This record gives sequence, structure tokens and C-alpha cells, in this order.
Amino acid sequence: MARSSLSRSLETEEGEGRVKRILVVAAITVVGLSAPFVARPHAQDLPRRLGGENGPRKVDAVNKPAPKLADGTVDLSGVWSGGGDAPIRRLLKQGELDSLLLPWAKQKMASVKEADDPYFFCMPGGPLRITGGFAWRFVQHPTVNATHIFMLQEGNAHTYRQIFMDGRKHPDDPSPTWYGHSIGRWDGNTLVIDTVGLNDRFWLDTAGTPHTEQLHMVERWTRTDYATLRRDVTIDDPGAFTKPFTVTYTAKLGTPDSEILEYICIENNQWGDRNSSNPTGGK
Amino acid sequence: MRMKLGILVGVVFACFAVPIAGHHSWTAEYDAKKPVTVKGVVTKIEWTNPHTHFYVDSTDENGKVTNWNFEMASTPALERSGFSRKTLPIGTQVTVSGFGGRAVLERAIVTSFKGSDGKEFFVPKLGN
Repeated sequence: MARSSLSRSLETEEGEGRVKRILVVAAITVVGLSAPFVARPHAQDLPRRLGGENGPRKVDAVNKPAPKLADGTVDLSGVWSGGGDAPIRRLLKQGELDSLLLPWAKQKMASVKEADDPYFFCMPGGPLRITGGFAWRFVQHPTVNATHIFMLQEGNAHTYRQIFMDGRKHPDDPSPTWYGHSIGRWDGNTLVIDTVGLNDRFWLDTAGTPHTEQLHMVERWTRTDYATLRRDVTIDDPGAFTKPFTVTYTAKLGTPDSEILEYICIENNQWGDRNSSNPTGGK
Repeated sequence: MRMKLGILVGVVFACFAVPIAGHHSWTAEYDAKKPVTVKGVVTKIEWTNPHTHFYVDSTDENGKVTNWNFEMASTPALERSGFSRKTLPIGTQVTVSGFGGRAVLERAIVTSFKGSDGKEFFVPKLGN
């Protein structure tokens, strides 16, 4: 369609300026695009797409164990999707979340509107939501006796999360941040990440489950098979909940050709501008 | 064939009816009760995030031109589905189907679009 429409436009356009404009766009496109882009098929060659996936294509179920690195720890590399975006309420028994929320938190949760989620305004989603609809990676560095593990997220704006694996402790009084202070260790084949020092400005999940700066999160990541990462998260926040509780998420491995792609959320976020038809101008 | 397409469109609509995790769900801004079909010419592409947009000049029977703002999914979602910013060049004649904005009808979300050759493309669901 792209090629046929474009050539048709060139044939039928009356104004020279219009043709010039198309040529300029074409020239910019040729110069500006990277090789993989240029190699992309024309629209008429594309299969019709129904629905579609936002994240990478998942590998088929593979009946083989999780790979190991040279130091014997589990290799977490690869592009993953999912693992922490679902509303906590859905992961608990019916009524359980209501029994866990302190009165102020229950009241606050009842009053929040989905449209107010800071994430929609391109603010970070915190450690739980660094996984979710967007592709993400674990990076173990170095690959033998890693001192750091990073989580790289495609979404938000090239977001990363840093987990210290060198045996250090949490600082005594960390200044609250969006991703907090995370220390990790291996418990057999399970990576355990302990996080404190979180601010209360992000929503824990898409439903606006509240939390406070007292939030202490312990994650247990287990690559249960080649293609699956299980994430058990214990949420302990005496400022918002009556007692600690645990929820479980699952991330799935993308196909070997998967990559995290660029996504700069603040680039053209028209969220909240809904009364304007063309916030950036349509011409 | 016509019936098949009808079923496909029905399935697409069903997909959109389900709340989707991601950057934001579309129903806060767009109205499922306002299906729109717009014929016109592409005037601008915003190959941007969190979502892509393209703009279409549509002329009514009285010669009045309306510039529509159509929203699609993020660039990663579209790229993984084989779209690129070259899929809809400026000047392309298109027929776009989607749902109108809650506040401004002419700011709509896309479910599918069709070139002048009649081939229809379904857009990945909004969620990233």
C-alpha cells in the first residue's frame, strides 16, 4: 500500500510544492533510516495483523532446564516480558486485599481514578512495574561472580534498576527513590532481591494499590524452566497494610531474535490533553 | 469474503473491549460507542511514543476539511507487527476505522486502516 499510494500521489498531485514535499520526506526517510528499517517490507507485503502483541514474540514451550553461567548461577539473560504489571487484587483471594489494606489506604484506593496513574504521565512505575507489557532484560555483570545485576526496561524512558550483588547492606537511612535500594543474593537457583528506600509517588500496580515509604519488598526470582521466570514478591509495608503478603507473577522469554527497542515516553505524550484535537498540530 | 472480514472486524472489536495493561487503556480517552470511519489523506505522521499518531484531512460533501488525529500503539508494538513510519506516507489516501474521542470526536483511536487499493491493515492493540 505504501508504495502504490506514494507513486499514485506523485502521479496525480497537481501542485509542484506537494511533489517537492513528498520528495523531501522521501529523502529524509532514506537518509534517516537505519539499515534494518530500509530492509523492512513495504506495507503491501505485510501480513494482515489482527490484534497484535505489544511485547516480543514468546518462545514456544521448551522442555529444557534453565541455563547456567560459568560460576554456576542461573543465567537470566534474554528478553523477557510480563512479570509484574497485574493488579495485586487479582493475584490474591477474593476480599483478601481489602482485609490487608489499612483504613486510609482502602479509602485512598477507592478514590483513585485510572487516569491519574503517574505512569500515564511518563513517571516511573517502580520496581514491580519495571516488568510488564514492555520488553525487559536482566543483565548480570560481570557474568562470573556478578557484583551487579541490572534490569533494563524498554518502557518509560530507557529505565534501569540496579541490584547490588557484592554483599553490601542497605544504607541506614536511604533517601526515598523511585526504584529504591536493592541488594541481591542467590538462594540456590533463586535470585533474592531485597529493596527498601522507595518513595510513595508511584503506583504499585495499575489499580493504584497504595504504599508508603516504609515499603520493604523481597522478590524471589526462579527460572523454573528455560522459558519461564517465576517472581514471588513479598510486600511488607506497615504504613499501608495490616501484615506482609506475597503475590506471584510470571515472565515469559522472548524469541532469540527479540530485542528491547527504544521508547521515550515523554516524547509525544498526549495523555491529559484530551480536550485538544491536535495537541501537536496535524499539519 | 465480506462475511469473513465482518468476523475479523468483530474479533478486533472484541480485543479492544478487554482492558489492557500497558501505558494506558484506551477507554479513558476514547468512546466505544462512537465508532468512526474516516476517508481522507494523510497529512502528518508522528512516529513517536508513548503512542504513534497520524493525521488525516477529510473533506465532507460541503467541502469542509477536518483534520483528524488518529492514535495507534507504541513504536515498539508497531515495529514488532511489521509496521514502520513508512507504512503510511504523507499523501496516502486512507480509510481509517476506529473510535472517536470522548471529548473531541476527531481525536480517535485506530482499529484498522485501508489504502486506496482496498487492502486492510489491523493495528496492534493500544496498550504500550
